[in-house]
Amino acid sequence: MAFPGFLLALFLLSCLAASCCGVTFSSLQDTLIVTASPQPGQVLKAGEDKITVTWALNTSFPAGIDSAYGTIKVKLCFAPISQQDRAWRKTVDNLKKDKTCLHKIVAKPYSTSNNTFTWTVQRDVPTATYFIRAYACNSADEEVAYGQTTDSHKTTNLFEVQAISGRHVSLDIASVCFSAFSILSLFGFFFLEKRKAKASQTK
Amino acid sequence: MEISQGGDDSYQKKFALPVDSEHKATEFRLFSVAAPHMRAFHLSWISFFACFVSTFAAPPLLPIIRDNLDLTATDIGNAGIAAVSGAVFARIAMGTACDLFGPRLASASLTLLTAPAVYCTSIANSAVSFLLVRFFTGFSLATFVSTQFWMSSMFSARVVGTANGVAGGWGNLGGGATQLIMPLVFDLIHHIGATKFTAWRIAFFIPALFQTLSAYGIFFLGQDLPDGNYSQLHKSGDKHKDNFAQVFHHAVTNYRGWILALTYGYCFGVELTIDNIIAQYFYDRFNVNLHTAGIIAASFGLANLFSRPGGGMLSDLMAKKFGMRGRLWTLWIVQTLGGVFCILLGKVGSLGVSIAVMLIFSVFVQAACGLTFGVVPFVSRRSLGIISGMTGGGGNVGAVLTQVIFFRGSRYSTETGLTLMGVMIICCTLLITLIHFPQWGGMFCGPASKSTTEEDYYMSEWNSAEKEQGFHKASLKFSENSRSERGKRIGSAPTPNNSTPDTYV
Repeated sequence: MAFPGFLLALFLLSCLAASCCGVTFSSLQDTLIVTASPQPGQVLKAGEDKITVTWALNTSFPAGIDSAYGTIKVKLCFAPISQQDRAWRKTVDNLKKDKTCLHKIVAKPYSTSNNTFTWTVQRDVPTATYFIRAYACNSADEEVAYGQTTDSHKTTNLFEVQAISGRHVSLDIASVCFSAFSILSLFGFFFLEKRKAKASQTK
Repeated sequence: MEISQGGDDSYQKKFALPVDSEHKATEFRLFSVAAPHMRAFHLSWISFFACFVSTFAAPPLLPIIRDNLDLTATDIGNAGIAAVSGAVFARIAMGTACDLFGPRLASASLTLLTAPAVYCTSIANSAVSFLLVRFFTGFSLATFVSTQFWMSSMFSARVVGTANGVAGGWGNLGGGATQLIMPLVFDLIHHIGATKFTAWRIAFFIPALFQTLSAYGIFFLGQDLPDGNYSQLHKSGDKHKDNFAQVFHHAVTNYRGWILALTYGYCFGVELTIDNIIAQYFYDRFNVNLHTAGIIAASFGLANLFSRPGGGMLSDLMAKKFGMRGRLWTLWIVQTLGGVFCILLGKVGSLGVSIAVMLIFSVFVQAACGLTFGVVPFVSRRSLGIISGMTGGGGNVGAVLTQVIFFRGSRYSTETGLTLMGVMIICCTLLITLIHFPQWGGMFCGPASKSTTEEDYYMSEWNSAEKEQGFHKASLKFSENSRSERGKRIGSAPTPNNSTPDTYV
């Protein structure tokens, strides 16, 4: 009777131990106000369009809440619609395993004013729906607070990015040419084979 | 060096290796490239390797491709199933083509026909186009059949298991090597300056070019039979062009072909399934990073370097002492043990032990593949191509079945799927107990009677009209050469009382 109880306690303790070693998103406070230039529903082109992000401390919080803030990390994050059926973008509470925000925009030291950055959407950003989140990290590089451009359900104020195709005209032409060459070679083989067979017949 | 005289030829043929009456090599010399036997071996395993590299070139680059093409997990799963399902019918068609046109033309043609699919992977731009290129590229796995057929045509009964095993194993190596090659090529191109979404596209030209070049090698340097190519031999009358309907009929009415097709699905099919899912399994269950997961996945495929050839050699070794019955028993034991280790793999919970069990499992499952093709060359002589194709196709059917039943959606966790797959392996492998050759016996029964000979079995594939025209001569020679499958009884065994009817014109 006591043994299963002991096992359960051990199991719970180990779970607690595991979670305590990683910062969880649910433990963070939403103290930053983050705004970004894209309009809701706007489609940005990767490699061409720019995003201007501005962040500031929400002054409705008590003073001194930002005493531990060392760096601000601004990231491009996937909206839920772009996480569906894609386990590699899953949202997990433990921030070490969380894959919601995979693209880094900028990391800047925290200051109380002039917090803005203009970023050209990089060429390896995939086609998806996004929002922007900023994490405030302490000197030990652990997240202590955050702010995002969307609401807590991640449904408002989302924008899209249209990725580059990665295709080039030269690549298309090369593919078609090599493919045609392969098929032509095949016909060449059959022709040569027939000729050889005829030659051996007349021997 | 042995000198053999070709039948009605007025000149002597010299072969670098010792040969039997069919001019098939009786020895297998790995480091020789002598024409026609060893050259055929090297050409066939290299082209099969190239096709495997192309077919499994996408999985290691999926983290980039899925972002570029906006793929979902369902899209990726479907493309993986498509990659192995195309070859099911392609392998049977390839078997027919080998029987009718010869392995050289058949494999060079298929390799060239599927190369465009690999080139066009570079211009894929959606989930549908990605699925289509993987589907058509997967057809190239049918070169497995031409490899086995070619080896069975070039090497005698004594060493056919070894030849088939090494050629098949070193070809399958491509599935492991590609997990290392493609990321390297991608990194190189990315470093030179291409963006990620362009670099992976350029990277696909490497396997495509490799495939094209290997087709050229086969056409210009290869030869169908020790005595020449089908087209020349057809025209000169040395080899008659067989009747497709008859060849097909004798293949599908031989129950042994169907049994081997099913059991091959539970060694080779399982190997293909593991190639597709094992990296994700280690990544998700043990939280290793993608690079490490890729290396573990590669090591599963790389075991083919020695495990499948080992299976083939073991088959030949057992045949020396115990004949065909030894081949069958060994196949059953090894494949059943593969199933046992598969069950274990799903149960083991720590990373180190899991990798160890996976490696042992890979050795047994791949050896079983080699052992299967130690038996296949003897099932039929006339319809060797289609039987090889059916067995090979059955392998792919097994891969599709196991992925659909156990590894699709969230019905079973991957570890439960692995355990259940192991149980299915053990159950399906039991069918080997039903295989019986009247002239040699099966696992539990001896030969049908003391006087049944190899000729009785192989001549039953020809009707009297065909025999009158002498079409059966090759099968007759094969019957004689396959007497070694009696094992040590060879001295006391009966010989046919109607010997070679060389009075026929």
